[in-house]
Amino acid sequence: MGYLKQVPKWRTIVIAGITPTQLILDASLPVQLVLLTLLGLSIVSWVMIFQRALVLSAASKGVLSFEHRFWSGMDLSQLYKEGSQMQKEDIPVVGMESIFRAGFKEFMRLRQQPTVDKEAVMEGAQRAMRVAYSREEEKLEKHLPFLATVASVSVYIGLFGTVIGIMNSFIGLASQAQVTMQVIAPDIAEALIATAMGLFVAIPAVVVYNRYTASVDNITGSYITFTDEFSSILHRQIHSE
Amino acid sequence: MKDTFNNVVIYNGYPLSVVVAVTFHSVILALLLYLQSSKSPEALELVQPTVVKALLIQENPQVANERKRLERQQQQQRTREREVAQQAAEAERQRQEQADSRAEEQRKARELASLRQRQEQERLDADQLVREREEQNELEQERRRQLELAEAQRQQESRDRERQRQEEAANAAAAELASSEFEMVQSGMAIIQQAVQSVWSRPPSARNGMRAILQIRMLPTGELIDAVITESSGDPAFDRSAENAVYSAAPFRELQALPSNVFNENFRSLSLIFQPEDLLN
Repeated sequence: MGYLKQVPKWRTIVIAGITPTQLILDASLPVQLVLLTLLGLSIVSWVMIFQRALVLSAASKGVLSFEHRFWSGMDLSQLYKEGSQMQKEDIPVVGMESIFRAGFKEFMRLRQQPTVDKEAVMEGAQRAMRVAYSREEEKLEKHLPFLATVASVSVYIGLFGTVIGIMNSFIGLASQAQVTMQVIAPDIAEALIATAMGLFVAIPAVVVYNRYTASVDNITGSYITFTDEFSSILHRQIHSE
Repeated sequence: MKDTFNNVVIYNGYPLSVVVAVTFHSVILALLLYLQSSKSPEALELVQPTVVKALLIQENPQVANERKRLERQQQQQRTREREVAQQAAEAERQRQEQADSRAEEQRKARELASLRQRQEQERLDADQLVREREEQNELEQERRRQLELAEAQRQQESRDRERQRQEEAANAAAAELASSEFEMVQSGMAIIQQAVQSVWSRPPSARNGMRAILQIRMLPTGELIDAVITESSGDPAFDRSAENAVYSAAPFRELQALPSNVFNENFRSLSLIFQPEDLLN
């Protein structure tokens, strides 16, 4: 009677675990490229996030301060002159004030011409304000489509890296007779880092995009309200003559 | 003044944003690295799995005993030969001495005789001749006896040597037979072991030190008749995995090549020990 003993073919000694840093450094080239792309996207999207934060907070502050000045009972031509003074000092006039200036300028110019009737003056002023409003809205919404794209695409890019990584690991596994968890685990972990990175880029982009869209809507809404209020003031002024 | 600041920010917000974004990412990276290093202060190292080759160094006790016996015999043979050679040399030397002394005596006697002959030629002529011849005869006989003795000894020696050579040849043949059978058994075992090992998938509950023994019975064609668990590991999943491994590794067609006596003695009924030793848990 013979005895057969299972002699271990492999003796695997893992002294310690693996770290994410090491995984990234040991990753295959496609996965590393995906990670680099995602890092770039992350940096650019965060640049946009901070830049938009500054722009939008400045715009909403500008709305409040201009409304305060506008409704303080100041003479409109006085308000216009202050703006001209600012422009002379190379300080750009933006937001609600630029809408006001466009409308008021057009209104004054048309009213000085005797041939133009009252309705045409009103129409001209409103058209000028609409154009100014479009420009302001455009300024506010700049870069938001980029954030939306990053939010939706970076997940797929990460997923792509993961699929490539897992594919590579399975190709490597095909040549091994005995597959243990210790053999598979590092490759899978390496592949999953790409998905994690994609989510890391996408989540702030989604949140910020939604928040900023709401904020832009808010600001443009107050612009529209102001435009209506200001045209009613102009209307009153032109018909009281 | 506040408006002025706001306006500047709106149009020149990009440099500030870039600086803030890059700083943000650097901080996150630094934080990750710091957490990693603090989490694992010991040097992290991934050792590549090393292949441990299992070499068979155990020897068949039968063969070993046979070899030892042979060695002992050779030793004895050598000492015996040496003794015989010494004896022969001794005898040869003695014979030589005797012959020398006799020759000397003879020469002296002859001188004496010739002297006497010369002195009393006529008187002792016949006597001298007779005596001389007798002495020579004696000498001749002595020499012949010694030669015969040496011859007998030589014959005895060669007979001994012949017998020993035959014995040695027989021993060597027996040892060779035993060792080739031993090798056949070993290679058969290795075939079964490899086949079973390659299909044995251990359950997650398997632990180092678990041990299950299966008794398997096989036909000379290498087909498996049955496999019975004779010693359970205590873990049903482990036992089942061992059983499955045996069933899926069978039939062992390579065993067909073995001579039937070797198969019947070693492989008809076989115990397999399943004992994982390479697990990490």
